[in-house]
Amino acid sequence: MPRPAPARADRLLRASAAVAVVAALVLGLVVAPPDAVQGQAQRLMYVHVPAAWLAYLTFTGVLVFSVAYLVTRNLKWDRRAQAAGELGVGMTALTLAEGSLWGRPVWGTWWVWDPRLVTTAVLLLVYLGYLSVRGLSDDRAAGARRAAAVGIIGFVDIPVVHFSVVWWRTLHQPATLLSPDPAPIDPRMLLALLVALVAFTLTGAVVYRRRLTMLAAADAAALAPVAVPEPAVPADDAPAVPLAVVPRSRP
Amino acid sequence: MTAQALAVFRRELAVERAGREALVTTVPFVAALVVLAGLAFGPSPRDLSVTGPGTAWLAVLVATIPLSRTVAGTEVAEDSWDALRGLVAPGAMFAGKLLAVWSGLALTWLLAGGLTVVLFGLPVPPQSFYGGAVGTLALAALTTGFGVLTASGPRRRGLLAALLLPAGLPALLAGTQLASTKVSVLPWAVLVTLYAAVVVVAAWAVFPALLEE
Repeated sequence: MPRPAPARADRLLRASAAVAVVAALVLGLVVAPPDAVQGQAQRLMYVHVPAAWLAYLTFTGVLVFSVAYLVTRNLKWDRRAQAAGELGVGMTALTLAEGSLWGRPVWGTWWVWDPRLVTTAVLLLVYLGYLSVRGLSDDRAAGARRAAAVGIIGFVDIPVVHFSVVWWRTLHQPATLLSPDPAPIDPRMLLALLVALVAFTLTGAVVYRRRLTMLAAADAAALAPVAVPEPAVPADDAPAVPLAVVPRSRP
Repeated sequence: MTAQALAVFRRELAVERAGREALVTTVPFVAALVVLAGLAFGPSPRDLSVTGPGTAWLAVLVATIPLSRTVAGTEVAEDSWDALRGLVAPGAMFAGKLLAVWSGLALTWLLAGGLTVVLFGLPVPPQSFYGGAVGTLALAALTTGFGVLTASGPRRRGLLAALLLPAGLPALLAGTQLASTKVSVLPWAVLVTLYAAVVVVAAWAVFPALLEE
């Protein structure tokens, strides 16, 4: 079946994402200087911070779309919540992996029992549970309802994750940009970080829309009526077909 | 609504009196966990005093898994779940079952806390009772919601642990801190209060959708 041509908005979104990714790579790898203390490892922040931002954004989307589904019972909202949840889980895993890669040279260890790390890992578990709830039954609507409930309740952990570095003040550094008393940052580093944020957001939007199309196609295929072939009526003079017994399981 | 909720609560108590399901599954579990934790973390009194509050709250949090199976398990086993859903308004059902689960979790907390106080030699700061009351309320709301969610389907029962344990993290943290000495009380009391309020409201709001089939 020929694939439909992407809409103009999608083409524009893809082009913008590609430009932003290239710009983020150039700024993050070439233009921005290495950190005076952390050295080259600091460049991982141009992936770590945008991935965390995109995870927050998508989990907020899960909350909003889940509420919209429970109010309207329109499966399009559930598809949006699922696509956002899947993207968020991927971004949370990327955030943890990047943080671990950064922590090895800077903190001297892959993992510490830091509140931000632990709460982020817990957040990943919450939304893995959110995605798994969909398989509790074969009923599409029941799965959507259950997932929406978990998506709403699970969002409670997001503020705990975000404010954990404020409440505990342990190893993980507090927010650089969103802090009321922001730490000084080199303008080239700031530019690289902001462009990386834009690149991740646009690329995430591309992936999200692509996944949305796939989920809509899967729902349409599941709901499409199945054509049942007419049983062949044997002619009166046709030889009788012997009854064949087919085993239901094979060794 | 109130009468229906109280009727559901009384029914839950009657079911528990008849079967002792929650009691039999939770009490030995919590007692074993606290004793084994003492062996694992001890025997230094200094180590036990540090790990005691967390051990008690970890026992309460993990006890939500067997308790969640009692939320709708009896009705599903007796084929009375559909009748109950038809007779009782969702809000009243949630309130009645929440009260029952809260009672069970509060008793679990008292048991786990009492055992750690006695066996680990812990002091009992007064704010720990506030943490116990409000933290178990939040966990009860989670347990009620997720218990009903997984009761109606035979598949993936193991998901309960994946759903309940991470979602109960704020109660675990705040309850542990409030049960510890030399800790600033106000931020943790605020956290557990806000968490309980949000979880109870969210669980109440989504409960009708979980009852649908």
